[in-house]
Amino acid sequence: MVQATGVSKWFGDLVAVSDVSFSIGAGVTALLGPNGAGKSTLLRMMCGLAKPSNGMVTVLGKNPRADVAVLGRIGMAPQQESLLDYLSGREFVELAAQLHQVDNPVEAARQAIQTVELDPDDPRKLSTYSKGMRQRIKLAQAIVHDPLVIALDEPLTGLDPRQRREMIQLFHRLGAEGKCVIVSSHVLDEVERFGSRVLVIAQGRLAAEGDFREIRNLMDDRPLRIRIRTDQPRVLAIALLDRGVISGCRLEGAEIVDVDTTDPALFRRAVAPAARDRDASLLEVRPLDDDLESVFRYLVGR
Amino acid sequence: MNTHIYRVVVRSQISTGRLLAWAGLSGVAILLAFVARVADDPVEVATRSMGVFGTNIFAPFIALALGSAALGNLVEDRTLVYVWLRPVPRHRVATAAFAAVLSVVGPIVVAVMTVAAAITGVDDLIVATAVATALAVFAYSGLFLALGLRFKRSLLIGLGYIAIWELLMSRLGDWFARLSVRSYPMSILSDATDVSMRLADRSTLASYIVPLAIGFAGLIYTSWRLTRTEID
Repeated sequence: MVQATGVSKWFGDLVAVSDVSFSIGAGVTALLGPNGAGKSTLLRMMCGLAKPSNGMVTVLGKNPRADVAVLGRIGMAPQQESLLDYLSGREFVELAAQLHQVDNPVEAARQAIQTVELDPDDPRKLSTYSKGMRQRIKLAQAIVHDPLVIALDEPLTGLDPRQRREMIQLFHRLGAEGKCVIVSSHVLDEVERFGSRVLVIAQGRLAAEGDFREIRNLMDDRPLRIRIRTDQPRVLAIALLDRGVISGCRLEGAEIVDVDTTDPALFRRAVAPAARDRDASLLEVRPLDDDLESVFRYLVGR
Repeated sequence: MNTHIYRVVVRSQISTGRLLAWAGLSGVAILLAFVARVADDPVEVATRSMGVFGTNIFAPFIALALGSAALGNLVEDRTLVYVWLRPVPRHRVATAAFAAVLSVVGPIVVAVMTVAAAITGVDDLIVATAVATALAVFAYSGLFLALGLRFKRSLLIGLGYIAIWELLMSRLGDWFARLSVRSYPMSILSDATDVSMRLADRSTLASYIVPLAIGFAGLIYTSWRLTRTEID
């Protein structure tokens, strides 16, 4: 349904997206990447809001930038919080339905608003809406015309855990109906719960793609650097090397040794017994690069 | 034209600040009319008052405030996306916004200035004022609609344009005057009462055609810009 071929986008000297190609079909697809990775730019190009500097994006075989009609098959919830604040939630969603020439815009708006668990009879202006309500009303205007392709930019931001669960169920429901639901996120655990196909975007490039489990395995396979604080760093490091738990180490002072491991699970099981066997006191064990950025850096550099 | 977009733009145009500005300027117009009525030469004073205030100040400033905001506000607060994402041809979006600006600015400026012209007691001035201010509104609205879409600080740029180009540079010579909007509606007033005014020596045909052309040019540019611009 969505096809990107050699797509790049730059703003002056800044390369936001670099030579990205992929194809997305029905179901839920997650765009995973850190902030500033190029996810929003990709989504904007998919919806025709931005023109690729190079390459081509097609939606349902059409260029969304040139063919206004194909926008009728696309629904998008952009990342920004700003809305038409002088309208009520229902007016806002009705406007979307009217502009999409939905047969019964009033009823369609009611249904879409109910789907995102808001009250269609709430007369308040959007300016009074909380962040979570804004996210949900954005989602409602994106689905009110029953689009085939739904692009959602960080749609779970600002929602409480129950609302997140409901929204993820909604994404799955829409995906199961044969729609192409593309959801961007920078939160690994969130994407894991989508249980979907994942495109990992980092530094403007497609770093990895596949089923979430494949991506998770790739991430788990990367070498992990761990800092151990102990009264006997040299002795403990040798013990871990002897057991094949770590692939390298570096002493960083009288009490600190940084070790590299490709098997964090094995390391977790082995480090305490190794310390006990050598009468070493474990004062602290903490990963040095377990943040998402380092995961993405690893995937890009593979 | 898309009536849904028209309604949304009209709704976005009404604010307390704008209503106060409109009320203040309207008050000045009525005051000037009463001053002209009791002047020694009411025809000359009334013509100059309607020309200088109506087409040089009232029409451009109200058109700037509302015209530049019509699409400009949507760009600045990043909500244009909610119009742009819909399968609506861009020229219909531009036309709806232009119509919304005209339907708010037009009645405000034209009605007030026509009433003011009637108060002066100069009969020849009533229809001429209505026509001249309507043309001024049309030209400035198209111009500032395009400006609002093109530039982020369109209100400031528009104020600079009115102050520097329309009010100062246009006095530097005939060619500068030809490139200022205000000289055309002023010529209509001058023709109606035979009062000679600086800048008001455009031909009758040009006085009608040029403001219309400027308004339409602004509309066409806005449509073109909507198809080309990247939406934030």
